[in-house]
Amino acid sequence: MNTLAVALLGLFALGYLVLGGADIGVGMVLPFLGRTSRDRRLVIAAIAPFFLGNEVWLVATAGVLAGAFPPMESSVLHGLYPAVAALLLGWVVRDTGLWLRGRVDARGWRACCDTAITAGSWTVALSWGAILASLIQGSTTQVRTTPSAIATALAVAGLFAVHGMAFAAVRLTGSPRHRARRLCGSSGEATLLAATSAALVVLGLLAGFGLEPAGRTADHASLVFLLPPVLFVTPLLLATQGWVWWTFRHRVTTATYL
Amino acid sequence: MDVNTLNFARLEFALTAGTHFLFVGLTLGLATLVAAIQTRATISRSAVHERMVRFWGQLYVINYAVGIVTGLVMELQLGLNWSGLEHFAGNVFGSGLALETITAFFVESTFVGLWIFGWGRLNRWAHLAVIWVVTLTAYASAYWIMVSNGFLQHPVGARAVDGVLRLDDAAAVLTNESVLMAFGHVLGGGLVTGGLVMAGVSAYHLRRDTAEREFHVRSLHLGIRVTVPALLVTIALGGLQFGVVGDTQPLKMKVFGHDTAEINHLQAEAVVRFGPGNYVPSSGWGAAGYVMIGCWAVMFAVAVLAAIMLRSPERTARARRLHGAVIAMVPLPFLALVAGWVFRETGRQPWAVYGLLRTRDAVSPISAVAMRTQVAVFVLLFAVLLVTNSWLLARFARRGPDAAALGRPAGEAAPEPVVEPTF
Repeated sequence: MNTLAVALLGLFALGYLVLGGADIGVGMVLPFLGRTSRDRRLVIAAIAPFFLGNEVWLVATAGVLAGAFPPMESSVLHGLYPAVAALLLGWVVRDTGLWLRGRVDARGWRACCDTAITAGSWTVALSWGAILASLIQGSTTQVRTTPSAIATALAVAGLFAVHGMAFAAVRLTGSPRHRARRLCGSSGEATLLAATSAALVVLGLLAGFGLEPAGRTADHASLVFLLPPVLFVTPLLLATQGWVWWTFRHRVTTATYL
Repeated sequence: MDVNTLNFARLEFALTAGTHFLFVGLTLGLATLVAAIQTRATISRSAVHERMVRFWGQLYVINYAVGIVTGLVMELQLGLNWSGLEHFAGNVFGSGLALETITAFFVESTFVGLWIFGWGRLNRWAHLAVIWVVTLTAYASAYWIMVSNGFLQHPVGARAVDGVLRLDDAAAVLTNESVLMAFGHVLGGGLVTGGLVMAGVSAYHLRRDTAEREFHVRSLHLGIRVTVPALLVTIALGGLQFGVVGDTQPLKMKVFGHDTAEINHLQAEAVVRFGPGNYVPSSGWGAAGYVMIGCWAVMFAVAVLAAIMLRSPERTARARRLHGAVIAMVPLPFLALVAGWVFRETGRQPWAVYGLLRTRDAVSPISAVAMRTQVAVFVLLFAVLLVTNSWLLARFARRGPDAAALGRPAGEAAPEPVVEPTF
């Protein structure tokens, strides 16, 4: 049961880092990829059908933490309090910008929303940097501020941005795609995306090992209550996400609702 | 724990949950109405129903965005600010939240994205199925949240071992009497909210002699026809809960009924049982119960009157006084939702888990400065969100069906925005 709980936590957390990381990264480089208002809308269209489905992986991670690892949840969230609070703030600001951008046709409004998306995405990425750096260095009760932790945090945020560029290159066409491809060098954009995804998975695993989750699960009776339904729906969740990716697999050529 | 820090943590949670609940109530109702209209549109291919799906769907989406971000903050806030609760009750309370996120919210959000962006890409029957999954998972979500909340109100199916609750009887947790009726009551409240918003917005357009007469007559009829039975369900399940609460939280009902002798008696009993302390919930906040019931009575009177008077499309289009009355009803379901929630939550104080964990022992050991900063930042953020989104909802409601960008066919240009004064 404990192993199963850890496996589910890993699945949702790593799924979030790879999928959510991509749309956070695109948000970070939005002003760079989209120079005109129209181009920015296309860049947003690259993540529009996915970002809602991506961030639920983190909500599910938080759910598994709360349900299957309650002692760990409160100690880690409380221990890494400033980073978690900043993450939450950035997340709300960024999502608000994404949701609202297309609703009012005015330059100032769009500029506000673009700022919210970019600043929010950077806040989220840097918060993840701080959280992952602390966990990798074995600190679960305090955000590390040593030079090496800060350097790791910045590197993690940079990785999110590169991951976003690679994802944008896979999704877009025209000049935004051209700009997104700059980092790819001679290798293809899909290769870069695979590499950044793998790097994020490795980071997630390193951080996860630092938590030693197997010994900090909920009571056995709770796991017996919680895990079977979760296990039952997980293939359905993956199937629905697969349906979304399949439906929107083509490159973006026109703006969408956002 | 410094009393102010505790109060700030409570204030922040109350404002987060209150804001969340306002938008969630509308989400539950509008999703159902949109799914029902889309069913009709899919079967009949009627143009007016397709336009209704897009217009009401757009309001649903604007509203959903706020529900989701406030929900995220609420979920993480439990871990951040209420670690004592997670520590003590996590084995039971956490399971409900976990099942909510994974079996309901995960699917709901994935499908909301599919519904918004899949317009014109998915087969229309598949698109219809998607909105029904969204609606049903929204209900499932509400159920799991009520399981978690109901457990705090009336902790059954668990026992405390070494200062931590352990799950004893999962079936008792799932069928807790403080869960099922409240769940139905909230769904009824959501339908009342969705129905009255739909009726109110359409009444506004009819009152201004809209060109979209058929659209708004149909919407007004549908809104009222849903509101009347939903109000009956809400009051029936609300009334039945008084009996449940009388058994599970006797002090709350005695405070509500101003029964001083019984209050003193129960307070003395509680002191014997739990040790010294004040176990009487605030009667000021308890008065929210009267606000909820008052709102119900006014809404019921107007909705029944409208249902009787608005029979033919011609009468519906011309009944200007009734339009005014229906428009005036729009704030009431929101007021009733918040009042009902305040009534439910303040009545359990001073307990976080009734009879087992005091609220002051549930809060995280956070420094006063950190808590104040956090409250200031999130209160400001939510105030901006609440104002911006209410303004957007009103703006799109006022602009009418032509302005709905949701599901607009790719070739169709956006209409010129109407120049109108805004504040």
